[in-house]
Amino acid sequence: MSNKPPKSFLKFFRWFCHPKLRDSIEGDLMELYQERKVESGKLKADMKFMRDVLLLLRPSIIKPTGGYENLNTYGMYKSYFKISLRHLIKNKTFTFINVSGLTIGFLSFILLGLYIQDELSFDSFHKDSAIMYRMLQHEKQEDGTVRNAAEIAGLIIKESAAVYPEIEEYCRITAFGRAGLGNDPANRNYHRIVGADVNFFTFFDFPLIEGSKDRVLRNPNEVVLNETLSKKYFGSESPIGKRIWSSWSQDDKPLEFTVVGVMKDFPKNSHLQIEALFSEATWPALFDWYNDFVSSDWASNSYVTYVKLKENSNVAALSSKIERLVKSHYPTDRPFKSEFSFQPFNQVHLYSENIQGNGFNSNDSGIKPFYLYIFGVVGFLLLLIACLNYMNLATAAAFKRTREIGMRKSLGAPRGQLVAQFVIDSILIAGVSFLLSVVLLNVLLPFFRTFTQKQLLLTSLPASWYLMIIGAVFVTAILSAIYPAIISLKISTARALKGEVKAINQSFSIRKMLLTAQFAVSIAMIASTLVIYNQLKFIREKDLGMNVESLLVIDINSGNLRRNFETVKAEFAKPAEVVSITTSTRVPGEWKSFPIATVNAEGDSKKNEMIFVGIDNDFLKTYDIELMEGRNFNSGSSDSTKVILTESGVKQLGLTNPIGQIIEIPTIRTDADVERLDRIFKAEVVGVAKDFHFESLKNNLMPVIFGAPNTIIQRIDYYTLKIKTANWDETISKLKEINGKIDPNSPLEYTFLDNRFEEFYQADAKRGQIFLTFSIIIVLITCMGLFALVSYSVESRTKEIGVRKVLGASVHSIIGLVSKEFLVLVLAAGVIGLPLSWYFMNSWLQEFAYRMPLGAWIFVLAAVISLLIAFATIGIRTFNAARVNPVESLRSE
Amino acid sequence: MKKYQLGEFEEVVMLTVGILYKDAYGVSIKKEIESRLKRGVSVGALQTALKRLEDKGYLKSFDGEATEERAGRPKKYFQITALGKKAMDYSKSTRDELWRAIPKMAWNRLIDVRYKTQDLEPLILRL
Repeated sequence: MSNKPPKSFLKFFRWFCHPKLRDSIEGDLMELYQERKVESGKLKADMKFMRDVLLLLRPSIIKPTGGYENLNTYGMYKSYFKISLRHLIKNKTFTFINVSGLTIGFLSFILLGLYIQDELSFDSFHKDSAIMYRMLQHEKQEDGTVRNAAEIAGLIIKESAAVYPEIEEYCRITAFGRAGLGNDPANRNYHRIVGADVNFFTFFDFPLIEGSKDRVLRNPNEVVLNETLSKKYFGSESPIGKRIWSSWSQDDKPLEFTVVGVMKDFPKNSHLQIEALFSEATWPALFDWYNDFVSSDWASNSYVTYVKLKENSNVAALSSKIERLVKSHYPTDRPFKSEFSFQPFNQVHLYSENIQGNGFNSNDSGIKPFYLYIFGVVGFLLLLIACLNYMNLATAAAFKRTREIGMRKSLGAPRGQLVAQFVIDSILIAGVSFLLSVVLLNVLLPFFRTFTQKQLLLTSLPASWYLMIIGAVFVTAILSAIYPAIISLKISTARALKGEVKAINQSFSIRKMLLTAQFAVSIAMIASTLVIYNQLKFIREKDLGMNVESLLVIDINSGNLRRNFETVKAEFAKPAEVVSITTSTRVPGEWKSFPIATVNAEGDSKKNEMIFVGIDNDFLKTYDIELMEGRNFNSGSSDSTKVILTESGVKQLGLTNPIGQIIEIPTIRTDADVERLDRIFKAEVVGVAKDFHFESLKNNLMPVIFGAPNTIIQRIDYYTLKIKTANWDETISKLKEINGKIDPNSPLEYTFLDNRFEEFYQADAKRGQIFLTFSIIIVLITCMGLFALVSYSVESRTKEIGVRKVLGASVHSIIGLVSKEFLVLVLAAGVIGLPLSWYFMNSWLQEFAYRMPLGAWIFVLAAVISLLIAFATIGIRTFNAARVNPVESLRSE
Repeated sequence: MKKYQLGEFEEVVMLTVGILYKDAYGVSIKKEIESRLKRGVSVGALQTALKRLEDKGYLKSFDGEATEERAGRPKKYFQITALGKKAMDYSKSTRDELWRAIPKMAWNRLIDVRYKTQDLEPLILRL
């Protein structure tokens, strides 16, 4: 006879019962069973057992269907958070420095990320952008250089597409200068006239708001306006089918265009920026030479050509096939020395340096990839420095927490749990900083948008970037926690509990290294900022060889202004404020393309390139350009075959006695388009002018050859007025009035020349501002780190300072004592940081043809500034500690 | 009023745990209730009550020794916590208060009513 209860019921009980209750209840059941068996026999005991088991089948006894064990250790995490919070609240300085440092770090990182992302996202919104290319022509010049052109002859792609199946589709864009638009004479402006092939809207993915993309731009004199222009000239009503006045004329009547579509304003991250797009069919109707030209031209540079190639096409092979094709059709009187290439569409924005005819690349002045990398590096550096700070501080703080660590260890905390405490600490700090930086981001973004002139939508960042940022939060947190965690693992429990950790010296040196690295970056940034600002100052103050102050330039946009320029000059000269007035084909600081003449002395085959400018007799006076030899032009047209050279031009031509010599101009080049003159232009040199900078100081000074105002080379395009006035608004309204009398149809278009020159360096000035901002931020973060480290050092030496004071040390000597070890670090940082900044700044300066001497003083200055900042930081912290009455600091013993 | 909720059976269990002092575990509590109150207590009902009281924090438990008749399973001893004591006090004091609030007359009337019903009994039967 077994003395066990029914097995099946016992099994059943064990199955359903909650494991936490199982043992004790089973014990009770067994105990009762044994008793009952003795009392009333096995059968009854069995029955009662079964009844008890069935009655135990209650919700509170049955195990839950889900997991029943504590699979998580929420409790432990709760404890981690609690301890972390207490720690953060207790050490307010520590928390403040860390949170603000990391916040700035994250903020800069995100802002720079947005900026870089925007730069990289250029032109990627076209769905075929991966197979889109822009064709480039690389023509070898006589002097051995290669001229890269983004515009090629229109026939090349047309014929190639017919023969080579790799070319899926193409679209050509061409520019025809500018024209005034607008039906209301009071509301007219000048806009770039851009024509495109009929497939523009199917080739590119620029959406049309009104009009059908398959039907617009089919007929002559059709125009598609962008939203802004449509609003400007037609208000809120639909412009479709309406006509718009233009300053161009046909048969002596203003030419009117029919609006056939409205396109959405092009996204800011498109290198193509077009306001008004005209149909290609317009030009043959407008110019009778156009059809002949287009159907025979293989050599000009007139069309920006975009193509879509079949995937996996052999681009190099295609280029050489096209080369052969072009060569076979090339005009026989011109040598063919060109290569063609396909530039990937999404590289147009960033990689278009040294490419001429970039007329449609409105972001031409945009950032170079080099700076993009620099910005990327700066963003990472900021984040890194903030992390280093945190590591430094957390390590210092970890020593204060040795007792806590010892306690945990003695209670048997495994390594993981010790590390977890530090990781939670830093996740908490990183998380709070991240949230703060997101809040700040929303506040700062509008300013950043204005500053960068970019759309910069937070939503434009792809998800992977957000993942990256969140990843950065965690990586920061974990990286920051690693060092203190290692320390905590290394120290022995007993020593930790006693609070005597002697590892300080060893780890202190690591933290010193980190600090040195930070200061190296700071010093490099300070030096770079100094270099940028000094170079900009150098450029602004450099003698241009002429005067650009208080010069007002009027653009000639109408025939009335161009004809009889002597009369127009006399009209504009009437107000008393106008000191002098001159007309010219181009002006210094030119923003349009200007012709460059190939010049040689008579009988000399050596060709020289010079900027050709047609001027009248008042030009040199108005611009204060000194005449060194010979004479100025006479007024009137008697000097139409005379020229004035600049000194460097004389030197290049090798003329010893220039006056009276004959020079020859066989070809004229505008951007990449080389035009051979029908008859070689021969002229006599009548004067020599002092050199002046026609272009920005980024370019080397180029010789200038002055001709008469209206030559076969060029017609006049500007009036320049030297103005002396106290009230610019009044003067300008006077000029507007005069302009209205001469030509009521075209508004006065004017610019200030000094602004033009300033614009050349705008991108650099902006770069300077960016560097300044980031220098300040980096220095700030570094100082926070220094401050924290000094605090730690001072606090751990409270007693030492007390003893020293008792023994008669002065406040100065104590500050000196503490500062010394840190200032040495700053000097060491200078040794690392300064060569670095020298290297980068030197390569930046290469952009300028005229650069300031990169003297040692700038770097010494940067080092001194850093030392002063460091000393101030240390001083503030040490001063208080050094002034404390030693009684206070020694009493704690 | 929800402050200390204690059901009738729960109160009995609490009191018994108190009586048994250091020897309160499943079987002993069951036997004690059965012998004192002359009513059967199923293991299920008792365990449910114990678990609920422990969850409420009125009782705390610790594992005791394992004996042979328990097939090596440990006893789970129960002890009243401070909170449990408060709950019991509260329960007792509310009862006492209610008891005290009953007017003496109520007891007299109770007797009257009994008489009246007795008088009416024949009438009811007749109907």
